Order: sequence, then structure tokens, then C-alpha cells
Amino acid sequence: MSAREDGLIAADAVRATPDTRAVAAGKAMRWRSRQAVNFWLKWVMVVLAYVFLHAPLIVVIGASFNGGGEYAAIEFPPASPSIEWYFEIPMQQFEALGLSFALASLASLSAVIIGVPAALGLVRSNLPGKTLIGVVFRSPLQIPAVVSGIAFLQMYYLVGDATGFFAQGSFIGLAIGHIFIAIPYVVGTVVAVLQRFDHRLEEAALSLGASPWRTFRRVTLPVIMPGVYAGALYAFMVSFGDVPLSIFLTAPGYVTYPVELFSALENDFDPSILASGTLVILFCLVVMIVVQRVVGLDALLKIGGTGKGR
Amino acid sequence: MTVRWDLLLIPSFLFTFILLSVSQTLFLEGSFYKDLGLGRTGDTLDLVNYVRVFTDGFYLTTLWITVKVSALATICTLVFSFPVAYVIARMRSSWGMILLSGIVVSTFITIVIKVFGIIIIFSADGWLNQFLMSTGITTEPYSIIGTQEGVVIGLMYFTLGFGVLTLYSVVQTIPTSLEEAAEIHGASRPRMFRRVILPLAMPGLVAGGLMVFNMCMGAFTSAALLGGGKVFTLPVLIQRTIMMEVKYSMAGTLAAVLLVAVILINVLSIILIRRMHFARGVLA
Repeated sequence: MSAREDGLIAADAVRATPDTRAVAAGKAMRWRSRQAVNFWLKWVMVVLAYVFLHAPLIVVIGASFNGGGEYAAIEFPPASPSIEWYFEIPMQQFEALGLSFALASLASLSAVIIGVPAALGLVRSNLPGKTLIGVVFRSPLQIPAVVSGIAFLQMYYLVGDATGFFAQGSFIGLAIGHIFIAIPYVVGTVVAVLQRFDHRLEEAALSLGASPWRTFRRVTLPVIMPGVYAGALYAFMVSFGDVPLSIFLTAPGYVTYPVELFSALENDFDPSILASGTLVILFCLVVMIVVQRVVGLDALLKIGGTGKGR
Repeated sequence: MTVRWDLLLIPSFLFTFILLSVSQTLFLEGSFYKDLGLGRTGDTLDLVNYVRVFTDGFYLTTLWITVKVSALATICTLVFSFPVAYVIARMRSSWGMILLSGIVVSTFITIVIKVFGIIIIFSADGWLNQFLMSTGITTEPYSIIGTQEGVVIGLMYFTLGFGVLTLYSVVQTIPTSLEEAAEIHGASRPRMFRRVILPLAMPGLVAGGLMVFNMCMGAFTSAALLGGGKVFTLPVLIQRTIMMEVKYSMAGTLAAVLLVAVILINVLSIILIRRMHFARGVLA
């Protein structure tokens, strides 16, 4: 195909005689059928991608409703539908879910408390090494979580040797690690909002006699709030689903839900984890719907579409 | 305004910087002590561990497999996520948002649950294998668990959603008017795609591709579960070296190699993107 050929189709239409018109019509038809092939190809890819992404989730949900008592096999589609496994979820899994929930809540809250001032400072101050400071704030995202995991584990050992308090396998030890990986999400989303911030809004407030603090609370904060929500959500979900960092920082009998699920899959499992997994899927769904109602998915995607999970 | 924004930065910066520098220096320093196994290390700094990583066949194979599956997963992710991102970005109805939320939800759900679903799908007496065997496509139950293809697919579960979300924002920056102009001048869709969309999306594709590659190199959960103890990538090996062999400094060495690789890819991507912007500026 050459540029000339493209031009020819257009030229055909201009100097059309009865003869060339037939040629042009043929070309147009071929062009249209190619369009159709292209259209379908695109949609086939889209459908494939969605089936690919969602099939495992649907299988987990479906298989969780398969009954059959003691010798139940994991089956999809469920052979004997029942909800018995929802009553068989052992306490251990609820404890793990509780720990994950507490950790993720604390991590996202702390990430907001630490990340929002950081973002304000990054965008609004004019320190000389600002780019480098930005790199430091982003680095927990770039460092593979496994690497952070062993780095924190060794740090906790050394701190333990020095002070007698070993943080691995404790809530505080897990929390510090999770806050560390959660901060970049809040910093990222809030920086993105602040960079588009219209300064005239603040100037107007100040010139009308509002104090700087009042201006911040009544003007700046409401504008950056969607960014804060988005960052907090990303932080929560990353912390709630993390395996590679937590696997080093948990102790036997004190594990987060993803780690519990991970070791179950590596060793041995019964269908009750399908039921708890389904509850987690539903929980994520509910969180998403609430977020969509409160902030709007649109804002969420525009702000932090390039977040990086693990 | 007389607000000292830089003061606001200090506490947050100190928190991140101290955690980052202390944890990373400690393990990097540890990686230079010879590993004697079972948590014991030598007393002097040397490069024994590093020499071993780059001479021992097993470690070299692991490095190669990590790069290979990451590259394959990156290519597949880009090939799948670009059409999806394009279709969604060009949708005018509210369906676009609904499709996008589908992606976001599946991205947010922990990868362990998704891998669980994959394990069920490929179980020996599962629906897929019964179908494959009854139609005679295979005689033995087929499983992707413990194969390199399985790891590639696992990595794709980890990256596809992010790929779509990233490329979605890339496609949104390409004005539809350019496509219309090409179409009015008689360009076919494939040609328009090749000559208009692809060049404009290229910086985004390169950036997104390197991001996805980086994620794959560091991916642990999906690689560990779908590798099934047979296929090892670097992150999986790092975890096993600590948990099963209790070799802290050897694991530190492997982690250092991974870290350096990831940082190099990041630097490379920044340089590449800068170059492309420069080239585009010259051409325009």
C-alpha cells in the first residue's frame, strides 16, 4: 500500500466517468468489508479480554455454591447447589479477614495523613531537589514487593537485636510495611489533582479576607478531595490484596487473608475458602459501587489510572 | 501566600526516606557477606554470592526465564489491552464506563483469588479438561500449572487490567478529529491505525510496556502459584531462598540483582520517552 493508492480512491470520486465509477464502487465495497472485519476483530478481542479477566472470578463464585458434604469436590458448574460452605468457614479465615481489613484501613488512613502534606509540599514548594524527593516518594512502587519484603524483614531483625522488640509477625510491623507501600498511591493521585489546580480560586478567597487556613479548608481541600479518595482506595486495595510483602512479615497463626489463601493454595484446601473468597469478591464490588457513587469512577480513572499493584 | 509548603514536606519525607534507605542498605550490605546457609554468614565483605549468581547454571536459567516470561507476558498484555482500551475510549455511550468499571473491579480483587479460579478451571476433572478429552483434543488432562505458559498467563492476570487503564488514558489523548481526517481522505481502518493512531500512541505504548514489564519482573504471587514449584522466576526464588533454605544473604543478592534490573528498566524508559518526545518535536 502506498500513499498514492489512498489518494487514488479520493481522486476516483472526483473525476468519475461511468467506467471509473464502477471501479470506485468496487473499491468502496472492499473498503467497507475490511471495515467490518476490523470491527469484528476488535470486538472479539474485547470479549476475549473480558472473559479472560472475569472467568476465574465467576468460577470461584460458582464453585462456592457446590454442596456435597464431607467428600465435596470443587466443581464448576456446581453439581449440587447449596450454601453449606458459607457456614463452614473456619474462625481462622475470619481472623485473617479481620486482620487484612484492619491493616488496609490503617494503611490507607495513614497514607492519607502522610501523603497529602507530601503532595502539597511537592507541588507547591520550590525546593531545589524536588524531582529527587518525588523519586523517593514513588520508589516503594518501583521496588518489587518481594524485595521490600526481605528488606523490611532484615530491618526488623536488626532492630529486634538492638532493642529486644521484634516487629515481624506483629501488627505494628505489618502496618509499617503496608503504609510504606500505600503512600505512593495517595501522593500520586493528589499530585495529579494539584497540578491542575486553579490558583485563582485561592487568590479569590484570600483577597476576600479568608485566612490561609480557612482558604485551605474551604477551597483547597474540597477540590483535592476526589484525589484523596482515589488514592485512599488504591492504597486500601493494594494493602488488602498484598501477598509478597506480608508473606515475610506475618507469623504462623497471625496471617492476612491473601497470605492465608496463598498458603492454602500451595498446600491443601477445602471448599470453605471458595466461600470466603466469594465474600471478598462481593466486598470489593460493594466498595467499588460506593466509590462510584461518592466520587465517580470517571474522576478515579482520570486521576490514578496508572497506579501499579502487585 | 506566606505558607511554608516545604515544611509540610519534611515529616512525610523523613518517614519514607528513613524506611527506604535503612531497609534497602541493610539488605544490600547483607548481600555482600558469603552465605553459609541456615542464616549464618561470613564475616568479611566479598562478592562470592554475586559471582555465584552469575556463574551458577541454575541462577542463570532463573534469570533467563524471568526475562523471557516477563517479555512474553508484556507483549500479550499490550496486544490484548490496546484494542480494549481503544474500544472503550472511543465509546460515546455510558457503556464505556460500565466496561471500564469491570476492568477496575477485576484489577482490585487480589490476584490469589483469580489464580484460585484458574486452578479450578484447569483441574484434572474440571469442566475444561472434560471438554478437551471428550472431544479428543487431548487424551491426558491438560494443566497450565507448573508450565512457563501458565506463568505467562498468571502474569497477564496481574497486568492486563493496568495495561487497559494505562492505554485508555493514552488513547484519550489522541483526538478523534485526526482519525476522521484520515478516513475522509480515504485511508482504510488498518492503514489509519498504522499511520495515525500507532505513531501517536507510541510513547504511551512504550511507557506502558516498560511499566508492565517491570511489574512482571517483580511479580511474585501469580508466578509462585502457577509456577507450581517447577518454574522459578526471580521473585519466587527469592522467597524460597529465605523461607525454605534460610539463606538471607543469598536472597539479598538475588533481590539486589532484581532491584538493579528494575531500576535500569526504569531509567531506560525515561530516556526512551524523552527521546521520542524530542523526535516528535523535531518532526512537527
